[in-house]
Amino acid sequence: MKNGPLLFLGLFAAFGLSWAGLALGTSLQLGSLAPYYDQLENRAFPERAPGIASRGKLVYQDLGCAACHTQEVRRAGFGSDTERKWGDRQSYARDYIHQDRLQLGLSRVGPDLTNVGGRLKTAGDVFKLLYHGTATMPAYSFLFDERPLHAEPSPKAVAVVDGHEIVPSARAEVLAAYLLNLKTPADYPVEKAVNTVVAKKEEAHK
Amino acid sequence: MTQAASNAVSETDTTARGPLVLLLASALGWLVVSGLLAIIGTIQLQAPAFLSACSWLTYGHTQALQETVFVYGWAANAAFATAVWLLGKLGGASLRGLGLMKVGIAFWNLGLTIGLVAIILGDASAVPFLQMPAYVHPLLLVAYAAIATPGILAWTGRRQQATFATQWYAVAALFLFPWLYSVAQVMLLATPVRGVAQAAVEAWFAQNILTLWLVPTALAAAYYLVPKLTGRILSNYDFAPHGFWALLFFGAWTGTRHLLGGPLPAWVPTLGIVATLIVLFHYLIIALNLRAGLSLGKGDASLGFVAVGLIAYLLGGVLDAVFSFGTFAEKVQFTYFPVAQLKLALAGSYSFIVFGAIYYFAPRVTGIAWPSPGLIRAHFRLMLLGLVVTVVSLAAAGWSQGQGLLDPKMSFDAIAAATHPWLLAAIVGEGLTLLGTLVVLVHFIRLQVLAGCAGFCCSPVALEASAS
Amino acid sequence: MSAPASRDPRNSGSLSDEELLHAHEQAVADKTDDRGSYKLLPLALLFVFSGLIFFGGTYLNLFSGHFDSKIFDERILPHKVDTTVKLDPVVYGQKLYESLCITCHQPTGLGVPGTFPPLAGSEWVNGTEERTIRIVMNGLKGPVTVKGNTFGTVPMPPVGPGGQNWTDDKIAAVLTYVRQAFGNTSGPITEERVAEIHAKITAHTDQWTSDELLKLP
Repeated sequence: MKNGPLLFLGLFAAFGLSWAGLALGTSLQLGSLAPYYDQLENRAFPERAPGIASRGKLVYQDLGCAACHTQEVRRAGFGSDTERKWGDRQSYARDYIHQDRLQLGLSRVGPDLTNVGGRLKTAGDVFKLLYHGTATMPAYSFLFDERPLHAEPSPKAVAVVDGHEIVPSARAEVLAAYLLNLKTPADYPVEKAVNTVVAKKEEAHK
Repeated sequence: MTQAASNAVSETDTTARGPLVLLLASALGWLVVSGLLAIIGTIQLQAPAFLSACSWLTYGHTQALQETVFVYGWAANAAFATAVWLLGKLGGASLRGLGLMKVGIAFWNLGLTIGLVAIILGDASAVPFLQMPAYVHPLLLVAYAAIATPGILAWTGRRQQATFATQWYAVAALFLFPWLYSVAQVMLLATPVRGVAQAAVEAWFAQNILTLWLVPTALAAAYYLVPKLTGRILSNYDFAPHGFWALLFFGAWTGTRHLLGGPLPAWVPTLGIVATLIVLFHYLIIALNLRAGLSLGKGDASLGFVAVGLIAYLLGGVLDAVFSFGTFAEKVQFTYFPVAQLKLALAGSYSFIVFGAIYYFAPRVTGIAWPSPGLIRAHFRLMLLGLVVTVVSLAAAGWSQGQGLLDPKMSFDAIAAATHPWLLAAIVGEGLTLLGTLVVLVHFIRLQVLAGCAGFCCSPVALEASAS
Repeated sequence: MSAPASRDPRNSGSLSDEELLHAHEQAVADKTDDRGSYKLLPLALLFVFSGLIFFGGTYLNLFSGHFDSKIFDERILPHKVDTTVKLDPVVYGQKLYESLCITCHQPTGLGVPGTFPPLAGSEWVNGTEERTIRIVMNGLKGPVTVKGNTFGTVPMPPVGPGGQNWTDDKIAAVLTYVRQAFGNTSGPITEERVAEIHAKITAHTDQWTSDELLKLP
């Protein structure tokens, strides 16, 4: 290889091809995905997150929750995602079309959060979890404020510590709103029809 | 490292002393920080309560900081030094544009510091290997242009028409990094692509930080050091171009293999798996070409580092291929196992080969030999032990975690309890690595102090810079 | 490994940078020298590379879903599936009924005596398809007799064009629902039948009167 320009062209081709295939290719193929309009519900899915949940997503991102939690359900038969009741169905590209900063995550030190809004019922559940932590999750006590207790503790208080009540800060509130809003809609007919053939075939074999 | 090895000091070596020493000093400094953060992060995984009251050092932050410091602090600074020095050496003329390079180094490290503060303050971008916020990266890109200029000038102005594999790999690293980096800034930070296409772009970028930048830099050093230190030309060298192009054309597609089972169309991960398999051809040629450098325990200290690095590189390639296929990927996806694989690539093959290069060229650049062979041996042993302990225990932790995740009845508390002993071992491994880094940092400072003395008072350790 | 020439740098302790460049350049150029010992290797490597490409190509063909954007399970290849969404007109009609008609005709379909006529057992609902379609499409005004009682104080607004702008399939669905709910047992009304009537009455914009409709066969 004595030819400098040729080397340069080769580098450019190698780089450009992989970019065109993986970065540009996926963007072009998936960029035109539209929400699925459900006639019965008279609504389009997935729905956009309300503003407070979008603000909560920024907190999720800032704290780096994605370092331990994923937000994708793998198909039944690949891993135990559906057996663990993380979702009724696998996640599809369409579920994420409204997201401008994806939080898929790379590690499952903690459970998947795709449908956590269906498992944690109230903001109180989220606050308790955030304040106390678990054996595997740190307590995020800095998301809570301490207030002198005058009479009855506020309904949102997670604890009362010698004359002070611990109440969620604004960050905890929006984070809870975000988490409670995490729910995937019912199956999309097209994706469901295309991706269920194997399961049927396997059942037929049994 | 011996006196004999450093007596071949030429003018090419010493002219670049200022910027190269600056790069190495920053690289080693950042490596210490990265080592500290790695220990903190692993402790946080093992005991979640550790530092949990500290809002700016959640595990998410620690992990983002460690990754950023390692890649943009240690790996980048060391890669620039290695690539520029190699191109200068093989170009055959003194390096030009060194003043500009110094300014670039200062701004690179300044930008990195700003980025780290931003991550601490909660402004992380949450993109793997691109954690610093969008406003920091353009500064780094401009600084990079200044740093790379001497390397590019040395390539275009080379005295010999003939080129060597080291030059292809070094030029590839220097050219491909800014392309990759700027494309990622546009597609992920400035105008992020929406939806899951972003995951594909992220995977493509994160993999190619390794495949198109750090790996070529390390291989450039290995292709130079193995024949230099063994005194033999490389075996089956006529296949080297095939190995080079196989890495670039197939390796660049391997990133998306991690997305198997996820919300991307099946072809995206499948393409990554196929590329990971075909790139084995590249590893085969590296093994053929550099097999003289694979033998441990004989000859020069640099060669020992290169040997460990190459073994880690080949092992990593085979592991990547095996664990990309669904049957195995299912068992380790989302666990510590891929973390161990990444460690093997970054702290194993990359760091070891580049340390081999640093031990080779730092004395040539400074003009005097390393003061203490004992410290080199100590560093080598600590770093090797640290690497083996960390990678093996993380892989074991990941395997047990993967088994636990596959069993729907196993709670996360039970999974964590099973991984804790291994994580404890990983903490020890990270500690050994950090100790090794401190040793080489002290040694490097001693080298510079001695060189400084030599410049002023002609210490007997100093060698004639003109001796050739 | 052989070739013990005195200038051969393989035998010297160290290589200078020029020697390094030249010796390797020579190694690429002088393949003829070592033909005997290296003959098999290029073939073997070519074999390995072709093997990898062949395996990779086959794998890609089998497990990429042929680059289909809707295939997420890599074991599936593109195949014909019926992806048109078939709604049960009764379920859909009920949704529609509950979104609009329920206000006047009530959840029971009994209406409000004296104001809104009942649908349950109504001779209009269970009568000819054409009359019911026309009523829903354009609405109804003036006095009307249902099950022996006279209504007409409040006109029925049009649900089709000029009113709610419901499409033919929606009108068909809601009629199908109404004709089998509340104890009614009449047959379903198809979208095609609605479209047919719709085409006939495009010129008519006003609400119908009971007399106009009764003139129809």
